[in-house]
Amino acid sequence: MTAWFCPEVLLVLSGVGLILLDALAPHGLRKGVSFLALVLSISVLGWTIWSSGQPLPDSWKNLFLADGITVVFKPFFVLCLVGVSLVSMRYKLGTEESVRAEFMALPFFATAGLCLLAGARDFLAIFVALELVSISLYLLAAFHRTKPASLEAGMKLLVMGGLSTGFLVMGIAWLYASSGTTEFSRILLQQAGKPASPALLLAAGLILTGLGFKVAAVPFHAWAPDVYEGAPMPTTTFLAVASKAAGFVLLIRIFGLGALALESVAEVFRPILLTMGIATVTLGTLAALPQRNLKRLLAYSGIAHAGYMLLALGTLGEAGMGTVVGYLWAYLLATLPVLIFLNEVERIHQSSDVRHLEGLGRRDPGVALGVTLCFLSMAGLPPLLGFSAKLSVLTTLWSAGEIPGLIVGSIMAVIGLGFYLVPIRAMYWEREADVIPAVRFPSFLVWVLLLAGFLNLILGLQPTPIIRLVERSLAPSLVASPKLNP
Amino acid sequence: MNMTWLLPALLVIPLIGTGLIALGAPARKTALFVSLLNLVPGFLLSGVVLRTGEILFGLQPTQVREVFPVQFTLGLDGLSLPMVWLTLAVTLAAMGVTREGIKREKEYFICLLLVGLGGLGAFLSVDLFYFFSFHEVALIPSFLLIGIWGQGDRTGAAWRMTLYLMFGSLVLLVGLIGLVMAVPEMARTLDWRVLTGYLKTNPLAPGTQTALAALLLVGFGTLISLFPFHSWAPGGYASAPAPAAMLHAGVLKKFGLYGLIRLALPLTPLGWKEIGWLIGLMLAANLLYLGLAALQQRDFRWLLGFSSVMHMGTVFLGLIGGTLLGLSGAVVLMVGHGLSAALGFAMAGEIGQRAGTTWMQDLGGLGKKAPKLWFYLTVAAMASIGLPGLANFAGEILIFFGSWSAHPLWVAVAAWGVVLSSIAMLRAVRSMAFGPTSKTVDASGLTDFKGFSETWPYAFLTFLLLVVGIVPGVVLGPIRPVLERLFLP
Repeated sequence: MTAWFCPEVLLVLSGVGLILLDALAPHGLRKGVSFLALVLSISVLGWTIWSSGQPLPDSWKNLFLADGITVVFKPFFVLCLVGVSLVSMRYKLGTEESVRAEFMALPFFATAGLCLLAGARDFLAIFVALELVSISLYLLAAFHRTKPASLEAGMKLLVMGGLSTGFLVMGIAWLYASSGTTEFSRILLQQAGKPASPALLLAAGLILTGLGFKVAAVPFHAWAPDVYEGAPMPTTTFLAVASKAAGFVLLIRIFGLGALALESVAEVFRPILLTMGIATVTLGTLAALPQRNLKRLLAYSGIAHAGYMLLALGTLGEAGMGTVVGYLWAYLLATLPVLIFLNEVERIHQSSDVRHLEGLGRRDPGVALGVTLCFLSMAGLPPLLGFSAKLSVLTTLWSAGEIPGLIVGSIMAVIGLGFYLVPIRAMYWEREADVIPAVRFPSFLVWVLLLAGFLNLILGLQPTPIIRLVERSLAPSLVASPKLNP
Repeated sequence: MNMTWLLPALLVIPLIGTGLIALGAPARKTALFVSLLNLVPGFLLSGVVLRTGEILFGLQPTQVREVFPVQFTLGLDGLSLPMVWLTLAVTLAAMGVTREGIKREKEYFICLLLVGLGGLGAFLSVDLFYFFSFHEVALIPSFLLIGIWGQGDRTGAAWRMTLYLMFGSLVLLVGLIGLVMAVPEMARTLDWRVLTGYLKTNPLAPGTQTALAALLLVGFGTLISLFPFHSWAPGGYASAPAPAAMLHAGVLKKFGLYGLIRLALPLTPLGWKEIGWLIGLMLAANLLYLGLAALQQRDFRWLLGFSSVMHMGTVFLGLIGGTLLGLSGAVVLMVGHGLSAALGFAMAGEIGQRAGTTWMQDLGGLGKKAPKLWFYLTVAAMASIGLPGLANFAGEILIFFGSWSAHPLWVAVAAWGVVLSSIAMLRAVRSMAFGPTSKTVDASGLTDFKGFSETWPYAFLTFLLLVVGIVPGVVLGPIRPVLERLFLP
């Protein structure tokens, strides 16, 4: 019975609860809906961590499993939700203020989808879970019905998302056609040892294309900067962190450990993934250099990060998978605080241009320090956490003998510093502009950002907790291994 | 008594200092106090190292962790001891030469303390991960120091220096990864003590050694500003505020040389033989090309920048000489150069502040107007030339003797380097210190050092230069056993 209190169920119940509260409760109570959402997300996070690894409801077991990946990534996604709720709470909805409850509730549904995705063992489950995420996100991106930028973002996300889902479904269809099943372990069992059929390779290619959109890998990246810029900040946060991570979890599940973890497929896809990685790192880094809008800068920086993860993933070994898991946590811990910070900047200045950061180092030293540490962690500067992540990417590439990836990755890490220093420079270096309104950050946010910055520093100096997570994620399945009977 | 906790104390004390300053303690006083206080563990640890040879902190006898075997381990032995002292001394002097009333004092001293902390941590680290990381800690504070408090083309200099150093660091990182990965998985470790021991009995294949030596040369070489990776250095130092230039030229640059002596040379000896001719050419370019460039400078800061870069050629000569004598000379010259460069940049800062310019043709007659300024300026110049009795001379002479048998040609080149450096420095001293008092100096109302509170950092550095110059044994004694362990079969 307790199996039914899993994060997915609680998330959906919370979402429904928030909407019902808005519909039925008296006006006074409705004002607290944002705060309630934050409290709910934090409680679900606590429960997810505390109950991690407990068995699933029996009726789910044909479609879902609980293993190391779910133990590590369900808390990851719920932590993202906490961040998104925090951002939403501080986000001004303007004319849409009357439907705030929906704005707060939709991320809950999307997160439920992500948690399901982390444990999916069947392509049908993946498809259903992914649609739950995508549809919630289309709504969230176009939430400002009257603002052209937001509508454009929603439209782009819808078209691109639809396209990527199309590729994915087509791939699943081909996979079903070539192996007669959509269940991971059966595909594995059936295809193991055989040379890969063209249909199987086509299927894998289509699935990779679909997921390439999700993680914004070159050449499927073009939507990211526009959507990040136009969408409301909480949606950007969700897309930048949770959605990207979900794409990588699926890549690990499908190409690294599950359905298509076949020698015959790896032979063909190793060079493809590595080439995509090299292209993604290069384009993300170079295109970020001229950006002065921080949302766009983060979008390109996210593309570059996706490139590093693709490089590690492209080695298709266990070390590569572990590296991606660790990298995703490092990415989350550095990016989420920056997005929370940007939301506040936007709230004050109505834009996220880098010049709004000028003089912040003197106005709000705590905030500036925390955000600086996060940016430096993203840049991969030791002793911060991001350095350990990049270091293990480089180490993985070296031991796999992938010298081109190693060289490009190192060079781009140097060039990357060129744009991560732009906001830091603005905060500490530039003269204070005259027109800055004397608005200060609320003190609880100062503490959140400082804490996040120092978390990056402490975990960089002592990465043991992240190493434990990586080891846990690669540990064999906690529940009985997937049923293999036909 | 167990003194191992003094090792982390060396790092914690400046860290507490930055915390106190951030919370609002008076910045300059706190920074000075912290730097002074750090001498106490420095003295105690020196005693231990001189008696027992080595002291370690945080070494756990646990098995090597598989995924990411980092371990926070600090160690101090005869080779790191002079480097740690150099850092402590230059940090203290750098705090001392900063006057009250600089803009944004708080951030300024925090950045300076962090730069010093990065140097200390790198020299103390036994684990390669922390060895590399601590050096990088200094990167961003340097960027801010030059960018906010610098002069001249500070923006360009700060970006150039930061990106150059990041490039060097990443090549270095790849080289270090390669070094660790070249060891079979059973013996893989990030602890350079274990690594050195293992590779001494099981040397790598010659091809691997050459590739790694080349990577480490470019990596460390960029940090050291070896030709042709030097172009960040002169401009960076010329634009940096005096204490930042002192710490960078005096301390952080020695990190690269220290890494070469500690890791690159003993672990890939065959590789260094293989690319010895290339290093010879590079060091000759350092000495002659940059020496000639130094001759052309009209600004004292730029002159110092070039002259500090050019002396790296001499140190390299000691490194490739292949004798203990040459290597010992290189370490002595590292210390001497650290102290003399710090003194030189401090003087340039002082003159710039008091006379309003460091253009040598606009200065003149300092000797008459400000005899104390003149004295320390001359000491810095003479030390840089290699006047006997000052530390640099002891290092250079040992290097020349030690490398003569292997590389007579490069020794001859280095001797010409000394000539060039003498011409440049003597000309500088002549035009700044002697002759009639210039209009600029008159108009600026230049004053001499007043009292102990203004003079002591300069006197302190001069004193150390004299000590190492007259009794080079203070450096040679402790490093001897370490060099023997690293380089003798």
